[in-house]
Amino acid sequence: MGQVVEFLNVLNQEPWRFIIGAFAVLNLVLGSSAVLVMAERKVAGYFQLRFGPNRVGPRGLLQPLADVIKLLTKENTAPGRADMWIFLAAPIAMLLPVAVVWMVIPFAPETVVANINVAILFFVAITSVGALGVIMAGYGSRSNFSLLGALRGAAQMISYEVPLILSLLGVVMLTGSLSLVDVVNAQGGGFWNWYLLPQLPMFITFYIAGLAETKRVPFDLPEGESEIVGGYMIEYSGMTWALIQAAEFAGMALMSAMTTTLFLGGWQPPIAFLDLGQFNWIWFAIKTSVVIFTFQWIRWSIPRLRMDQLMDLGWKVLTPLTIVWLVVTAGAMLVF
Amino acid sequence: MLGEERKLREGAPTLSGRVSARLANPDIRDEFGLEAMDMNMGPQHPAMHGLLRLILELDGETVVRCDPVMGYLHRCQEKIAENRMYPQIVPLTDRLDYLAGMMNEHGYCLAVEDLLDVEIPPRAEYLRVLVSELMRLASHIPSVGFLMLELGAFTPILYAFREREQIQSYFEAICGARMMFHYIRIGGVKADVPEGLLEEIYEYVDGLGARFQADLVELVVGNEIYISRTKGVGMMTPEQAVEIGVTGPPLRGTGVGFDSRRDYPYSVYPELDFDVITDDAGDVAASFRVRIKEVFESIKIIKQVIEKMPEGAVLGDTGRRLRPKEGDGFGRVESPRGEFAVHVVSDGSDSPYRVHYRDPSFANMMLLQEVIPGHYLPDIMPIMGMIDPVSGGWDK
Repeated sequence: MGQVVEFLNVLNQEPWRFIIGAFAVLNLVLGSSAVLVMAERKVAGYFQLRFGPNRVGPRGLLQPLADVIKLLTKENTAPGRADMWIFLAAPIAMLLPVAVVWMVIPFAPETVVANINVAILFFVAITSVGALGVIMAGYGSRSNFSLLGALRGAAQMISYEVPLILSLLGVVMLTGSLSLVDVVNAQGGGFWNWYLLPQLPMFITFYIAGLAETKRVPFDLPEGESEIVGGYMIEYSGMTWALIQAAEFAGMALMSAMTTTLFLGGWQPPIAFLDLGQFNWIWFAIKTSVVIFTFQWIRWSIPRLRMDQLMDLGWKVLTPLTIVWLVVTAGAMLVF
Repeated sequence: MLGEERKLREGAPTLSGRVSARLANPDIRDEFGLEAMDMNMGPQHPAMHGLLRLILELDGETVVRCDPVMGYLHRCQEKIAENRMYPQIVPLTDRLDYLAGMMNEHGYCLAVEDLLDVEIPPRAEYLRVLVSELMRLASHIPSVGFLMLELGAFTPILYAFREREQIQSYFEAICGARMMFHYIRIGGVKADVPEGLLEEIYEYVDGLGARFQADLVELVVGNEIYISRTKGVGMMTPEQAVEIGVTGPPLRGTGVGFDSRRDYPYSVYPELDFDVITDDAGDVAASFRVRIKEVFESIKIIKQVIEKMPEGAVLGDTGRRLRPKEGDGFGRVESPRGEFAVHVVSDGSDSPYRVHYRDPSFANMMLLQEVIPGHYLPDIMPIMGMIDPVSGGWDK
């Protein structure tokens, strides 16, 4: 017994703690995207008054497994004139940044792979690399439809970075720290302490910008399947396509987790007596799932915008709104 | 008749004003080395109805030129008709427009009946109007869903198809087919409807209006994004529309109240009370407002038809072998897409010398070249939705 405890203690020290944590988080990212595909299809089914997947396994629960097997056995095709290195590296360039950011998200008290003091900066810096992957995919495919999709995607992602980052600043000002652990700790004590209420406009901005960053409806113009037939991912098939999809779903999970962490109190229970100690990750999971569900709700309800309307919303509505609310927050902090 | 309702809307954008100013200006074009990007949209493109191919010239996402290329379906309907006897042509007309097949049958039968001395029983006339208006419902309701699908929302189409499936099951009860019908015959209709079906249809359309309003109209028409995607898109003046030969909801969306049912009355339409819906805006949103209101008008017509339905035979006597006199016959009906007209020339034999279809899908497609330049690439989708074409029609 003593040896086991000693072994566990060793594992809890650097660098083992980091290696095991990284491995666990990577699995979580890939696993969550498989589960999210399933959830997406089920939610769509309920919205559209049909069943959704219900054949593989009990209530269709093994569908993700079947999907993975199918995608693994499909042929990876590429256009003859494609720039192969760029074409193949693009899915990785899309997935990796999303996976890496999970390292800094606190799932429960003490349960964070890397508690760094610049976690928010890290999040901002790493997620913006995703635009590069989109450009690589679109350019590498050598197709006009892909190129249009990639240009739309890059323009959209870069434009919405601005309101996204500005909307984070309110939280940073209130917490006085760039560490996500500090952000969550500052929201303890009950749901009235969450940043949702004092930072409501910022929350809305962050949520909308998150939808745009993850290229979800109504901002799925880079993909635009009825206009540019899949955009930057039109030429991808089999596992390379699956990696792009995984990146999108993991991105959605990440944005939901960030929304939870920044505005909904992270792992903090809504009322203090519901504290579950180390099991507070359940609160984190519930809140993240609710946010993910709203993402899916929007996806299956409304059509997509046009490029100029998308830009209008980003630059003429969300960006000024965040700037105004930054001034309001700063003023309130001076007064109170 | 058209004259008094034709009016020029002030300030409508002209074609030259809408194409990309950057490419049109040689100074800017040469200085920055700008050139248009050629792009083929279709024939495999998922949002191009059937086998339409658009050759686009793009400046960024602005369409500078749009050339529709048709003919991939290659059907030769009119030629085939010359080699068949008159009654054998009726089922072929279904294939022109698989969303409104019975309207086409009706148009063709009207043209042949124009050549013949045949009395059509009143019950047959009422049944023809009944199936025609059900057809209009089965075409207009999904077209609202299709527009949303093309704008990127998938759910409305499934709600729309629920209604279409129900209407199709009535067609199945009436004539045995769900898509290629062959119900309307020269001189009447094939058979009477099964007992109790009229009451069932009445009950169904009675509830349809509220369901359509709740499931589709409120989901679609109140949607901010839907409004921003369709308002001001595909603008045309009444003059332009009449010149091109547009009919149906896109024409009525520009304010021209032309409807064959009222203006060239056929069948029992003069005995029925219904309104011709018009809208002044002349854009995609207007044509869809017209479609949505027409759904309610059709419901009104179906209820009246069932209430007034007389008893009696359903097929007149056309003789064993159909041989119309020499001459030509003409029939026109208002199909969901616009006016469908048939011109039949007879040389006195038992097959026609020449058949010509004036198909609304084909005529309305002539809009594309005029309306699309100057719009963004994603605007092509709502404009296609406004025309609501069926490929069997334009490739007749």
